[in-house]
Amino acid sequence: MKLAALNAAESGQAMTLNEAGVGCDLRIEGVSGPGCERLREMGFCEQSHLRKLAGGRNLICSMCGTRLAISRELAEQVLVRAAG
Amino acid sequence: MPPTTEIAATIALLGNPNAGKTTLFNALTGGNQRVGNYSGVTVDVKEGTFFTPHGRKLRVLDLPGCYSLRADSPDEKVAVDALLGKLPGAAPPDVVVCVVDASHLERHLQLALQVVELGLPCVLALNMVDVAERSGLRLDPAKLAAELGIPVLPMQASSGKGIVELKQALRFPLPHAATATWLMPGTAPEAARRSYINRLCELAARRSAVHQFSGSDRADQVLLHPLWGWACLVAILLGVFWSIFSFAKIPMGWIEMAQGALGAWVTSLLASGDLRSLLVDGVIGGVGGVVMFLPQIVLLFLFIGLLESTGYMARAAFLMDAVMAKAGLSGKAFLPLFSSYACAIPGVMATRTIHSAKERLVTIFVAPWMSCSARLPVYLLIVPLLLHENEGSWKQALVLFFIYALGTLSAFAAARVLRGRLGPDASTGHFLLEMPPYRMPQWSYIFRHVVERAWAFVRNAGTLILGISILLWALSTYPKSSGGDAADQLAHSAMGRVGVLIEPLVKPLGFDGRTGTAVLTSFSAREVFNASMAILFRVRDGGDKQTTRGMLREQIAAATWPDGRPLFTPLSLISLLVFYIYALQCLPTVAVVARESASWRWALGQFTFMTAFAWCASLLVYQGGRLLGF
Repeated sequence: MKLAALNAAESGQAMTLNEAGVGCDLRIEGVSGPGCERLREMGFCEQSHLRKLAGGRNLICSMCGTRLAISRELAEQVLVRAAG
Repeated sequence: MPPTTEIAATIALLGNPNAGKTTLFNALTGGNQRVGNYSGVTVDVKEGTFFTPHGRKLRVLDLPGCYSLRADSPDEKVAVDALLGKLPGAAPPDVVVCVVDASHLERHLQLALQVVELGLPCVLALNMVDVAERSGLRLDPAKLAAELGIPVLPMQASSGKGIVELKQALRFPLPHAATATWLMPGTAPEAARRSYINRLCELAARRSAVHQFSGSDRADQVLLHPLWGWACLVAILLGVFWSIFSFAKIPMGWIEMAQGALGAWVTSLLASGDLRSLLVDGVIGGVGGVVMFLPQIVLLFLFIGLLESTGYMARAAFLMDAVMAKAGLSGKAFLPLFSSYACAIPGVMATRTIHSAKERLVTIFVAPWMSCSARLPVYLLIVPLLLHENEGSWKQALVLFFIYALGTLSAFAAARVLRGRLGPDASTGHFLLEMPPYRMPQWSYIFRHVVERAWAFVRNAGTLILGISILLWALSTYPKSSGGDAADQLAHSAMGRVGVLIEPLVKPLGFDGRTGTAVLTSFSAREVFNASMAILFRVRDGGDKQTTRGMLREQIAAATWPDGRPLFTPLSLISLLVFYIYALQCLPTVAVVARESASWRWALGQFTFMTAFAWCASLLVYQGGRLLGF
């Protein structure tokens, strides 16, 4: 899984936020799923930039100067790509 | 024009949580705000007034923080209802002041655009510009105003900067409603808003760097660390508990002294009789016994306010999420359950921040099993009886710890079962929490909050608890016995007769009718148990609380059944403890649960379940123990 994520990051492929490595700068490609409305309200929108700060049971991301903790289930609904 | 006293218009403050609405509200209104607790609604809308530079009086509403107008949590619903004029007796506001945090325009503008879409006149208060500019954001309020078509006012509400300009902007004629130019036919409003905001931020709020490593980040490296983070959390929680129990003792002593002095004064004024008994035993004793817990409640809210205001509470919820998940709850249930150790009432009220309705109900349901401070006097009476004096206080502390652990674990188990039964949520409420940057505590806000809560508690003591105290007094006073002492009178009274009636019910638990009566009286408030036991076991007042408690302990230890067996064996004492851990003997809690869950059925169901569970658990302990030969 980690290797796949690494490959994805290097080749600039889209991956879920769970798969992205800690410390990576990312750009959101898509948000879809049952929790997407709430995610969008909190700023998880297409083209937004974010940095994944911590993984684990809940993830911590920094986005537009805000730090957000989100569950793995929600992170699975966020598709990201390494920001170039 | 001279200032008028008539209210010319209503202004509503709306914004995301942490945008600084309440700071702005306080800066606008000074000291003349009041809490308007709209009946039937669970969240407070603060209301105040201020004068514009032209002397017009405006009413200002401070709405609960919300992320959107979709209203999927109770506090968001109140905000939306207030905007639409659906709150009882309130018309829609004339102007909405959208308070946004200038550092987070991308997110906060969403709400402002939704207000414009509603067709309400809107003013944008660009708060905390100092922080935003320090973080390298280049703001252009004039461009923002031109694009949005609404007044935009940069400000720093915490230091009072920009308040005069805001008041100027609210002069008459009031701003008109703007047109939602971003809405295009054929495009979803959500997507339209998003692309509009992206464009707006590129024009008027440019960031120099996407990510900066701030002081909060450095603090979080420790405070959210898998090991150090937990160590800090445990240290903070233990510190809070220790402070609540040790610092509150001093003012509690004063209240007790004042209560005693007031009782003595009334006793000296009135001749012996029912009126004196009603005032001294019923009113002063009953209400005083509850007001005694005011210092603990004040301290608890002070600490909660401190933890929230500094931004640490979100970190605690983040860390506790994994633990709470074991009970089927999320990290957001941590604060309410933690507060319930002091008192279930603020705990139940703190569940308002939980988005998922079902998780909120479950949290409310199990909160009373976190042993509250009112149980402590009962535990302190019984635990030393279980152990000999020379067995050291650490053993007593260990027993106390087990009592707290039993309550907590049972609450978690019950939550897990109940959460499973209620099924998944209709709306997904996955864990999603904003971690605000660490800030210095806003003392004025914390103190206002503490005073409001304390006042609500005192008001409750003056109404509901006063009523219950008078009722209990009447039940234990009438019908009158022809003579004899207090114990005979109590035995003859309605309450005493009920005690005899319920003896068959409590005997299997190892208690006699007197203990049963004491348990029954403590359904108004648990700590009443000690006072009732003192009357029932004919203990004279020993002057201070500890001596009285010691004398009561001796009496209880010496009490026997009619056949000479000792009344309290270690087994029956444990059974009594178990009963107190589980029973929901607190009418104010039942009333608050009914209000917060908007269902008397839920509250009464909880009361019945907990009482029945306590009885069964006690029965199991006592009869099981006897079968095992204890």
